[in-house]
Amino acid sequence: MTKLKTENLHKSFGNLEVLKGLDLEVQEGEVVVIIGPSGSGKSTYLRCMNLLEDVNDGKVIVDDFDLTDAKQNINKIRENIGMVFQEFNLFPHLTVMENILLAPKQLKNLSKKEGRELGMSLLESVGMSDKADAYPNSLSGGQKQRAAIARALAMDPDIMLFDEPTSALDPEMVGDVLEVMQKLASEGMTMVVVTHEMGFAREVADRVVFMDDGHIVEVGPPSQLFNHPQQERTKNFLDKIL
Amino acid sequence: MKLKKKPIFIVSIAFTLMLLLSSLSLATPAEAQEDPYIIATDVTFAPFEYQNEDDEYVGIDIDLLAAIAEDQGFEYELRPMNFSAGLQALEANQVDGMIAAMSITPEREESFDFSEPYIDAGPVLAVHEDNDEISSYADLDGKNLAVKVGTTGAQFAEELAQEYDVTINQFEDSANMYEAVVAGHSDAAVEDYPVMAYAIQQGLPLRLPTEPEAGYPVGFAVNGGQNQELLTMFNAGLVNVMEDGTYDEILETYLISAEDATVAESAGFFSLLSNNFGALMAGLGRTLVLTLVAFGISLVAGTIIGLFSATKNKALNLIANIYVTVLRGIPLIVLAFFMYFSVPQLFNIQLSAFAAGIITLSLNTTAYIAEQVRGGIAAVPIGQLEASRSLGLPYRQSMQKVVLPQAIKIMVPSLINQFVITLKDTSILSVIGIVELTQSGRIIIARSYQSGAMWIIVGLIYLIIITILTKLSNQIERSLAND
Repeated sequence: MTKLKTENLHKSFGNLEVLKGLDLEVQEGEVVVIIGPSGSGKSTYLRCMNLLEDVNDGKVIVDDFDLTDAKQNINKIRENIGMVFQEFNLFPHLTVMENILLAPKQLKNLSKKEGRELGMSLLESVGMSDKADAYPNSLSGGQKQRAAIARALAMDPDIMLFDEPTSALDPEMVGDVLEVMQKLASEGMTMVVVTHEMGFAREVADRVVFMDDGHIVEVGPPSQLFNHPQQERTKNFLDKIL
Repeated sequence: MKLKKKPIFIVSIAFTLMLLLSSLSLATPAEAQEDPYIIATDVTFAPFEYQNEDDEYVGIDIDLLAAIAEDQGFEYELRPMNFSAGLQALEANQVDGMIAAMSITPEREESFDFSEPYIDAGPVLAVHEDNDEISSYADLDGKNLAVKVGTTGAQFAEELAQEYDVTINQFEDSANMYEAVVAGHSDAAVEDYPVMAYAIQQGLPLRLPTEPEAGYPVGFAVNGGQNQELLTMFNAGLVNVMEDGTYDEILETYLISAEDATVAESAGFFSLLSNNFGALMAGLGRTLVLTLVAFGISLVAGTIIGLFSATKNKALNLIANIYVTVLRGIPLIVLAFFMYFSVPQLFNIQLSAFAAGIITLSLNTTAYIAEQVRGGIAAVPIGQLEASRSLGLPYRQSMQKVVLPQAIKIMVPSLINQFVITLKDTSILSVIGIVELTQSGRIIIARSYQSGAMWIIVGLIYLIIITILTKLSNQIERSLAND
């Protein structure tokens, strides 16, 4: 079943067209990893999937709802799409627990006890139960990102978007975060991940998308895309980074 | 957690104040008919009007008005303000009448209706007592002349200026004008004779080098065509008090016995402070109320307008932009005059000086706070709003729960700064007759003729209060930074 779909997606910043008609279907439970050189538009593409970026043309369809339809209640749909950012974007004035519970408390009728339970179970799942009452500034990068993942899961989304989640981390922190993501994938979460971690792409992805210059150049299972790329541009890119 | 409650607290206070304020200003016009007559007078024009050491207004004008009101059985309320402000207030129907040693000139008769004259007051020249250069008008060539704005003395100085090469310095009240001569900034002052003579008898180190000019008669005024019944009563009462001897008694009190009056000459710094402590504290109280109310209102209004400029909505951006551009572009003193004198004429409403002062200060401060809010919001990384929106939180909740709490922390130092500026700006409101700290100082100088020590005292009070408030604010800033 198709969970998320983009149709002929175009996006420009001023006169600069960064997405030049992108089509993709992501199935329920599928993990899609987007790779490509920097400036290829992959982060912008991901940010269009929950309409953090307005799109100029084309459609973004999630669960049969067209996000680009102005009448659509975008807030309601976003509850169902978690997002994890490169720079974590934790709220510095709130504790980890408050970060996680901000949206559930505002949007659902949650008792104090239910909230605490939800928060603790999420923190446990990312291995952070001892940091519930810590402020973000006291956490390491890896802890911050795991807290941010817990926060993104707080509204119980069906889809998770990851925007280079390990790029701002010290190398020794990367493993912890990838592990949490891998666990999520194994639990059947639908995921779209923009990353430079080719190991993760190889191991966890169901399909890998190679983007270049605002186009989707090639899509395929990791074994095919990494070992037998069909396109010259894909080959060139992989030669450079592997 | 502290942050969550504080803004709500501040907002609720500000709203309460706004409600209070609006009910006050609404109540004024409704009651106007039954209210006593509002009579403008000068703040500093001994012996016609001045505050004695018990902070009561006394003087020829004041006592005469009291006697006439008693004779005719009408109620009135005095509204002391600078002479030129009084003229404008009368013209704007902000006051019902004016008694301020006001010469009946042909120009003034075009705007106002005058009573029968009750005294003559011609302008006279005054120079420093050590000045022996000036003994006639001709000696004024190349000199500086101090005058009070809008007075017949100022008019006389203009006439002198046509004949001789004199530079005219304009002052808002008599005390400042005298001090300019005492301090040597001006070579001579032009003032009504009875007033000048009284001040010199009180110990002011000036002398009169020339004989007084024949003056215009002095009368009580109402706005042209307005309050004719008040004018009729004044005239009838004047005849009665002249007949029964009250009038002569009043003149004797202020013009003759003044020679015997022993004013504590150049009282020391501390006795000046202790003698006037009550008046100064009352002034300080008004300064603080003005500041706190205006700042509370501006905090709410400034946040709203600041939010307008932070949205993507072009229309709201434009509104915020226009507001800030206009209000930042108008000097506070002009805005105060506009609120107090123009608004009542344009919209036919009455506005007390205090309400006009608060509105003026709030409008001005709001513009600056709006800019600080805009800057504070802009300083919060855009990722914060994006993270909140990506969770499904609507724009408004995202601003409220995520962006604003962080923006406020960023803004606190500049808000403290703005608070200090607003507190100091209240002194400008003295021009529309609000007796705040600066005006209290002026009034005390007007009766003590000791500007030197008084301005030091007033300056120190401002300094102490601002230092205390700044320390307090810094404490709040620190406690905000800690959580």
